[in-house]
Amino acid sequence: MKSFLTRKNVVLLGGIVLLVVLLGVADATLNNYYLRILQLMGIYIVLTASLNLTNGFTGDFSLGHAAFMAIGGYVSALLTMPLAARALQLADLPAWFQEFAMPFPLATVLGGLLAALVALPVGLVVLRLRGHYLAVMTLGLLIVVKSLASNWEPVTRGARGLSGLDSATTLWWAFGWAVVTVFVVWRLVHSPFGRSMIAVRDDSVAAASRGIYVFQIRLIAFIMSAFFGGVGGALLAHQLTAITPPTYSFDLTFLIVIMLVIGGSGSVTGSVIGAIIMTIVPVILRDLERRFELPGVSQIIIAAALIAFMIFRRQGLMGSREMHPSTWFMKKPATPVSVDAPQQ
Amino acid sequence: MRNIQLLALGVSAAMLLAGCSAAAADDEIVVGAVYSITGSQASIDQPGYNGFKLAAKQINESGGINGKQIRVAFSDAASETTTLTNVVSELIENDGAVALGGTNDSTLALVAGPIAQAAGIPFVASGATLPTLPEQVGDSMFMACYGDDLQAEAIADYSTEELGAQTAWALVDQAYDFTTALNKFFQERFTASGGEIVLEDSYKSGDTDYSAQIARLQALKTQPDVLFVAAIPNEAGIITQQIRAAGLMQPIVSGDGYDTPLVAEVAGANSKDVYFSTHVSLESTDAVVQDFVTAYTEEYGTAPENAFAALGFDTMNLIADALKRATDDTDPAAVRDALASTQNLVAVTGTISFPEGSRKPSKAVTIMRIVDEVTTFVETIQP
Amino acid sequence: MTINYIMQQLVNGLALGSIYALLAIGLTMVYGILRLINFAHGDLMMLGAYVSSIFISATILPILFAVVIPTLLMALMGLIVERTAYRPLRGAPEVAMLITSLGVSRLLQNSTVLVLSPQPRAFRLPGDLTQTMNVGGIRFTQLDVLTFLLVIALMVLLTLYINRSKTGMAMRASSENLRAARLIGINVNWAIGAAFVLGSALAGTAGFLWASRYGIIDPFMGFLPGVKAFVAAVIGGIGSIRGAVAGGVILGVAEIGFVGFLPPEFSGYRDAFVFSLLLIVLLVRPNGLFGKSEVERA
Repeated sequence: MKSFLTRKNVVLLGGIVLLVVLLGVADATLNNYYLRILQLMGIYIVLTASLNLTNGFTGDFSLGHAAFMAIGGYVSALLTMPLAARALQLADLPAWFQEFAMPFPLATVLGGLLAALVALPVGLVVLRLRGHYLAVMTLGLLIVVKSLASNWEPVTRGARGLSGLDSATTLWWAFGWAVVTVFVVWRLVHSPFGRSMIAVRDDSVAAASRGIYVFQIRLIAFIMSAFFGGVGGALLAHQLTAITPPTYSFDLTFLIVIMLVIGGSGSVTGSVIGAIIMTIVPVILRDLERRFELPGVSQIIIAAALIAFMIFRRQGLMGSREMHPSTWFMKKPATPVSVDAPQQ
Repeated sequence: MRNIQLLALGVSAAMLLAGCSAAAADDEIVVGAVYSITGSQASIDQPGYNGFKLAAKQINESGGINGKQIRVAFSDAASETTTLTNVVSELIENDGAVALGGTNDSTLALVAGPIAQAAGIPFVASGATLPTLPEQVGDSMFMACYGDDLQAEAIADYSTEELGAQTAWALVDQAYDFTTALNKFFQERFTASGGEIVLEDSYKSGDTDYSAQIARLQALKTQPDVLFVAAIPNEAGIITQQIRAAGLMQPIVSGDGYDTPLVAEVAGANSKDVYFSTHVSLESTDAVVQDFVTAYTEEYGTAPENAFAALGFDTMNLIADALKRATDDTDPAAVRDALASTQNLVAVTGTISFPEGSRKPSKAVTIMRIVDEVTTFVETIQP
Repeated sequence: MTINYIMQQLVNGLALGSIYALLAIGLTMVYGILRLINFAHGDLMMLGAYVSSIFISATILPILFAVVIPTLLMALMGLIVERTAYRPLRGAPEVAMLITSLGVSRLLQNSTVLVLSPQPRAFRLPGDLTQTMNVGGIRFTQLDVLTFLLVIALMVLLTLYINRSKTGMAMRASSENLRAARLIGINVNWAIGAAFVLGSALAGTAGFLWASRYGIIDPFMGFLPGVKAFVAAVIGGIGSIRGAVAGGVILGVAEIGFVGFLPPEFSGYRDAFVFSLLLIVLLVRPNGLFGKSEVERA
């Protein structure tokens, strides 16, 4: 048995300690606005890293991440809603439902679990498709979920949505979940299962012929991705303190896709970097919009940058490489850990 | 390869540090404007924001408040909840706004409000007409407009009393809080006065083809006396057009979502016999209204697009009035208290008073009528 | 429910379906060759509608200009988009093109917002093309009839063009196998360009028709019709022109039927229904009604 204190684990622990210290400093010094942006950053890391499981590693391009976020968001909101708000908004629901308010952490997990539960039957059906067809079908899933949210009055309150939630998403929860997500995704990807995922992506026929259960791998990735999507949705709902159908829009899915593409789908650290950049860039651009009074310009710049990225660096900033902190202290540059950039 | 990684890190770090805004100077009062001038809210928020700015400009030209100038801090909320929360937080924390005003959508107001409430900054919703908004958010939330209950009841009463309607058809946009609430209050009032809703049909904002719903209406054995449409401005014109083009000529009744030039422009000759409730008639001969219309036209080269311009104007004036009366115009709590004690403030959309303990004004509702592309004033209904 | 009611809903569905069909033809041609779902296709329709709106307000020019100019301009626009955004991606993973087309879509929408305004504007066709006619209790407009006839005519002409002309043959060969086509000396870029030009021109025409039918245009009007047109193209069998027309009509009728024949409470699920329909078609008959079989839907 190897000692726990390997170089890798020391670096990992060091990294976490450093993150805790940084977050502590941020929490103590920054005002609520910057804290809010940082919370969003944590949430976006959860979402991007989890979307990477399907879109990046398994090669199943999904446009439906916001659907799972919506499920997680609504479920957690229904569970945590304070009693006073509950009496006002959910009077149509049975009495036992009026009398409890679940703690936020538990509700977040349950939101994620329900999203994963929904992903099972959905995945069984839509994963029979691949490529474009899967993309359009997952977009369809988003539209179906949104239709349900707008029309299922007694539970979701339709367009009015659920409001008056506790603003429970702190910096700690957002980044706590970000660390958990990145850790789980990392371990998953760097396991035999992960190599199967990459094999399925790169050549599913060859993978199948080597005895990999292709469909099963894709389904598990889809469900895992949905779980963290649901968690991210729950975190977002409790940051906004309200949840309405338009919150989980196609624009949101698209934003996460952009983060993934810019960071590099196929790289876990890439999705973290993508999420960080695409949290900050819109804020800076909005600042410029303000200064020069040109509303809407940031959207154009982001869209143009995306196209430029696709043309000139379509593998994203990281491609399928990883940023390996444990190698920073070595003399020799490390060899790439995973396979080369996807060429589907 | 490593360069790119370092570059990415460096860029992110630099971006995090950049962009700190200046706080308020001593000789100015910062008031935050929360409007979405892009996205789905733009057609009503842009006029609202223009009205808001106009009021601030007029106040500054006549010497400001307590010797200080008003600075309107604004950042586009883009009709989107996440951006909206960021903007509200930014206006409070970075710009140091002492009060906020804006938002013409109840759902967005329910998201923006709690942030202001938590920071203790008063927030005046210009056109968010959810009647329970102040209670749901807390004691920092005020409304410059009346609630949907008032306008829905006014147009329901008008339908039964003036138009003699006993039966009505209802078409509701399921995508907005405003439209579903308007529908609920209309139906309650209409049936309470002995009317009957013969059919309720629905759609979702963004739909463009209503032929199926209209055909179902036409297939009814007895045609309803009035057609009630709960729509937002974007769809008001196109629904009117399709109803009339199908040969249905009953009066169409609606709320302030119909207060948009799009009804006359899109429906053209088909825009007839449309009645809607709104906040003010911009044709009114009242001096306050006319001065506002003139000033707005001078400033922006176009007449106020709809009543939301007037509401934005009133929102700023409501805040200014409170700032003048506040014991300390730099203390949000004092401004909040002053707002709560607003009495008989003469505004474009009617006189505003907050009754004891309520942060929602009880104002008159204006009924307008569109005949052959021309919108005319019908009457004001006092609550 | 009378026969009259059923017929009326059928006509409504046909009218809506004709415009879907027009968009679907353009999408299916491009998809057939490049395997690209062009999310920007609906936005070209939006641009076409805006261009058209300039010409309907200029009363001196005949109405024909409001159709022809946007059609020509969108053909050019399609070519520009293909050249600048899609051609550099030749040989890239298909998902890269999909993301790019989403980017192009956003770029077109937001540029329109910035240059013009986010406000919806009215689009009123002069003359009596949009006047309602009543034939035996069924109501429709001249424009509906015109649209339907135009779609049928285009279907015939384009099918002939693709089957008979040199370019058409090049297009068919490229859609069969891009690499092999290049090997035997077919100018693949020319074929792809032709598909984009024709498809985008139709999107321009559809812009005029959509705007005339509904009377209002805004910068975001194109996205959902574009996605629905893709659904229509898949239902009909992607790559096939008559399939696109059949798919468009089926989708239009099904959508109106869904709203018209189910209780009103279900009207809000209209778009959800469209995608459920797509899912069923893809699972039961993955190649659509007229599609050629492919080994894998990828």
